[in-house]
Amino acid sequence: MSNVILEVKNLTKQFPAKGWSSSGRGNYFTAVDDISFTVKSGEIVGFLGPNGAGKTTTMQMLLGVLTPTSGIVAYFGKDLHKHREEVLEQVNFSTTYTQFPWRLTVAECLTFISYLYDIPNRKERINRIVESFRLEKLLKKEIANLSAGQKTRVNLAKAFINYPKVLLLDEPTASLDPEVALHVRNIIEEQRKTYDVSVLITSHNMAEIEELCDRVIFINNGKIIADDLPQNLAKKIAVSHIELLVSENMEKLIEYCEKQKLSYSLKGKYIRIDMQEKELSDFLQKLSREQIVFDEISIDKPSLEDYFFSIAKVK
Amino acid sequence: MKLHRIKGIILRYLFDLRHSWDRLSEVFYWPVIDLVMWGLTISYFKQFSPDPTLFVIAIISGIIFWIFAWRAEYELSISLLSEMWDKNLINLFVSPLKFSEWVSALLILSLVKGLMSTIVAMIVAFVLFQTHIFTFGFLMIPFMILLIMSGWALGFTIAGIILRYGTKVQTLAWTTAWAFAPFSAIYYPVDILPGWAQFIARCLPTSYIFEGAREVLFQGVLDPMKLVISLLLNLVYLTLALIFLWKSFKKVLQRGLVNVY
Repeated sequence: MSNVILEVKNLTKQFPAKGWSSSGRGNYFTAVDDISFTVKSGEIVGFLGPNGAGKTTTMQMLLGVLTPTSGIVAYFGKDLHKHREEVLEQVNFSTTYTQFPWRLTVAECLTFISYLYDIPNRKERINRIVESFRLEKLLKKEIANLSAGQKTRVNLAKAFINYPKVLLLDEPTASLDPEVALHVRNIIEEQRKTYDVSVLITSHNMAEIEELCDRVIFINNGKIIADDLPQNLAKKIAVSHIELLVSENMEKLIEYCEKQKLSYSLKGKYIRIDMQEKELSDFLQKLSREQIVFDEISIDKPSLEDYFFSIAKVK
Repeated sequence: MKLHRIKGIILRYLFDLRHSWDRLSEVFYWPVIDLVMWGLTISYFKQFSPDPTLFVIAIISGIIFWIFAWRAEYELSISLLSEMWDKNLINLFVSPLKFSEWVSALLILSLVKGLMSTIVAMIVAFVLFQTHIFTFGFLMIPFMILLIMSGWALGFTIAGIILRYGTKVQTLAWTTAWAFAPFSAIYYPVDILPGWAQFIARCLPTSYIFEGAREVLFQGVLDPMKLVISLLLNLVYLTLALIFLWKSFKKVLQRGLVNVY
């Protein structure tokens, strides 16, 4: 366990519930309910869940900007609460729900932020970060005049400024165009390889999570409901999607789906059917027997996104 | 405390000042307007005074001293509000920045900006009315230290309230100091106030400073007890205000800094 960088133990956060409690005692809403997990050195962990699942609340507690009701957050074996200054020197964070002072230029923002950390050569570090995140042309622009994507890039650049050993990224590629999002993913990968940076990342882009993360933690209603490899989570969903471009006997196929109670949707000549993977071969034989002719077929195996949707449905 | 972190916070506000004409104009505009209006008024009324020169100095120095105390309060609360308007508090406190370092930076900034406003007001007073507050000699130093302490105590209290209740009570930042002005006896003695108001005035450290300043001007002496009482009151209020601000910050952490706006 020596390479555990972040350890979360029995972390709970309760907020006073709105409204009046008839018992006269405190009425509480539990946003995060007794969660425990670890992140190892150099590991990239996806932290997923539907809106309101408790992700942001957890992130805030991991950064010390929200006091937990109970539980422990420790980085490098040191309690965040007791060693805040030392720990936060090696941690950083990026999110879309905070901003920089809107009248400051990008260069000014990076400069003042760099002074909040103990960085040996600030100017050199800022130049390097600017280069990595392709911010050269934005340096003299005020934050107010940046697009959403440009702001996200500045936020990310800020998160790397102190050579962090742990990065907490909340929707890091939100509002970025695909090319820049890919570039950012590459930077995260590169930092992990070069500096063994550990990353805890939330995103609604499941493909990105599958590509980037070694492990995924799913949280729902404040509880961790899964902690596994992305591919293992996807396997938990046994349903595959088959999409067919039917040229003859579409009616027969629809009739079959309804009889077998298979979920389907129609889009022009295309039909998309959800079914268990084990039923696939019988289904294809049935198509042949019933002379249902199709010109195209595509079979999608279950993905992390399917797992996410199944969780969201439960919610 | 790490100096580089205090410097980081100071830079953040100085950069802001460089870009925002409204913040820059606040430093100069209101002090100058105040001084010009009052200066012209007393220039007219001084003909009715037995000692016009001292009468003018008393009023002008009252304005300048008050500007110093008011700016100290205003800068503290507006700096906090700026972070809330910009949603920047999280960026500050996910870093190793300590609460004490943040407060220290705000104190330095309020002192600097307070001095900037005061110096501008002093220049205007000298150019337009040939009056300066150097008449008080070295007593200016304790007067100004005590005034800035009063401004800080009030500023911390307002910042604590704003932290707890958010920007919906932001108007306190620019109105509260003026609610204390009538009780601070800036231009008149405490004795002319009604009984209940005199009681409030006696509880304010500022009233002792303005009374003391007039004493120096008109009688040439200063009762040192006035400075002592003012200092003691300031120490008590400043300590209570700092405790209140710290508790407010802790309270806000229970709710999460993300939810502070």
